[in-house]
Amino acid sequence: MLRRSARNGFKGILLLAFALWTVIPIWMVVMTSFKTQKDTFTVPVKWFFHPTLDNYSKAFSNGDFGRYFGNSALVAVISSALAVGLGTLCAYGLTSFGMKRSGALMNFFMLGKLVPAVTMLLPMFVLINEVGLLGSYVGPVLAHTAVNLPFVVWLAISFLKDVPRELEQSALIDGCTKMQAFRKIIFPIILPGVTAAAILSMQYSWNELVFALQLTNMDTYTLPVGISRFVGSVSVDWGKSSAAATVTMMPIIVVGFFIQKYLAEGTTGGAVKG
Amino acid sequence: MAAKSKSSYLAGFLVLPAAAVVVLAMIVPLGYAVVMSLFDFAPGKETAGVFVGLHYYAAFFQDHVALKSLLVTLIFTAAALGLELAIGIGMAVVLAGLPDRLSRILRAVYSMPLLVSPIIVGLIWRYLYDPTFGLVYQWLKAFGLEHFGGLSKPGTALFCVIVADVWQTTPFILLVVTSGLTTVPHEVYEAARIDGAGFWRTLFRITLPMIGKVILLVTLIRGTDAFRVFDIIYALTGGGPANSTLSLSIYAFKQGFEQYRMGYAMAISLITMLVLILLFAPLVKRSSYMEQS
Repeated sequence: MLRRSARNGFKGILLLAFALWTVIPIWMVVMTSFKTQKDTFTVPVKWFFHPTLDNYSKAFSNGDFGRYFGNSALVAVISSALAVGLGTLCAYGLTSFGMKRSGALMNFFMLGKLVPAVTMLLPMFVLINEVGLLGSYVGPVLAHTAVNLPFVVWLAISFLKDVPRELEQSALIDGCTKMQAFRKIIFPIILPGVTAAAILSMQYSWNELVFALQLTNMDTYTLPVGISRFVGSVSVDWGKSSAAATVTMMPIIVVGFFIQKYLAEGTTGGAVKG
Repeated sequence: MAAKSKSSYLAGFLVLPAAAVVVLAMIVPLGYAVVMSLFDFAPGKETAGVFVGLHYYAAFFQDHVALKSLLVTLIFTAAALGLELAIGIGMAVVLAGLPDRLSRILRAVYSMPLLVSPIIVGLIWRYLYDPTFGLVYQWLKAFGLEHFGGLSKPGTALFCVIVADVWQTTPFILLVVTSGLTTVPHEVYEAARIDGAGFWRTLFRITLPMIGKVILLVTLIRGTDAFRVFDIIYALTGGGPANSTLSLSIYAFKQGFEQYRMGYAMAISLITMLVLILLFAPLVKRSSYMEQS
């Protein structure tokens, strides 16, 4: 009995330690974003201080962060809508028509997961430069859509497999066309999964750095690119970049709490149920 | 018969747009990269390129920096993957015995780093590693370890990058393994306990083998991601100091966008992809991905 409670105590310590290890780094940045210049550099770290919003007004007034925020939202929404729209229809096409080569096609989409981003970016940069679209939204939207598509297709396939075939068949017998059956019967059933796929796609696009870094220009910078410009300079303005970082990560962390169930399932393409 | 061919047209019509995007944004650039890696050209002057054949591929194996970046990438992949698997699986096992509600809340807290942009992870850890006011040094000082090199010494920089990567991506393994553990039937544990198997014996003889498929899957996903590592190194060290954190992706990026040697950069990035496929192809074959199709 004593041994058992010792084990439980040890478990509790492990769980708490891992929680602190997870939260403290994020908490440090959020805290720094509300600190004055002087408090930021105080040693040892000040855990209690007078909060100020100066860093936020600095980041948004002369840091162009409002625009980066808009750019990020635009790229994330368009690329996710494309990936989820095209990917869901593609998954339906692959699974419910008894297509002969669907297995090979699925593997074709899977291969996309093995291509390093830089391998894709280098030729993409040259090609987009050649057609004169460098610095427009086309580059990041196309790249993010292409990276998300294979994952959405796989995820949607795993959701479609859970839908009983009889539902579709009885709709067809009632005189629905294939597309009507999809729209009226199947889509509403897989909607929670599709929503999760959309949020995960947006999260990727919102956080993605390397494509946005090279394919955008001053007017189309996304948030991660804007932050990398802050951090990249010789002396980092910790207050300003912490404010920018907090504004960038908070929406996605808050949304993450609600789709937590789908995080495991989503990132493994539905191979593991959450 | 007519209805059958009509519906297969529809299937093609549904698949085509998605396939077109992947071809346009992935296959075409890859093909282009293969061709252009055979030419010496500067960005914007593709037509003035000089054909050099396999020169760049041969050059890679004589380039000390390139070979070093291959080594750095392999060390990073092995160390990050090893630590993340050990901690992730360990924490998942600890979580497994908890009441459902508590486990759900803890998982939500634990998964936060997963949602943070890698550039911000870089910012966070650069702040923590700062020698004058960073938290890491303040705590190291308490143990008399203030001479730790951190991000600025070649001997320790890669280790520091790995720690940051472990911080960000261990939750992924924790989440996936946790959901894998829920598929192990309760009776199995009962039987093990009745047979008198202790904690460690149950873990290594029963639990881990039963979720072997899941472990294989996370190894595959995290392993390929780690081998392609770019963002976190770019944000923390940019490949320095003294190229001690230079991964293959970072090296290709630098050759292309800082040295303007696009042809060589493409050759490096294609070699990266080939090594990645060679390393992980045996795992892909065995993983459940292929079984789905």
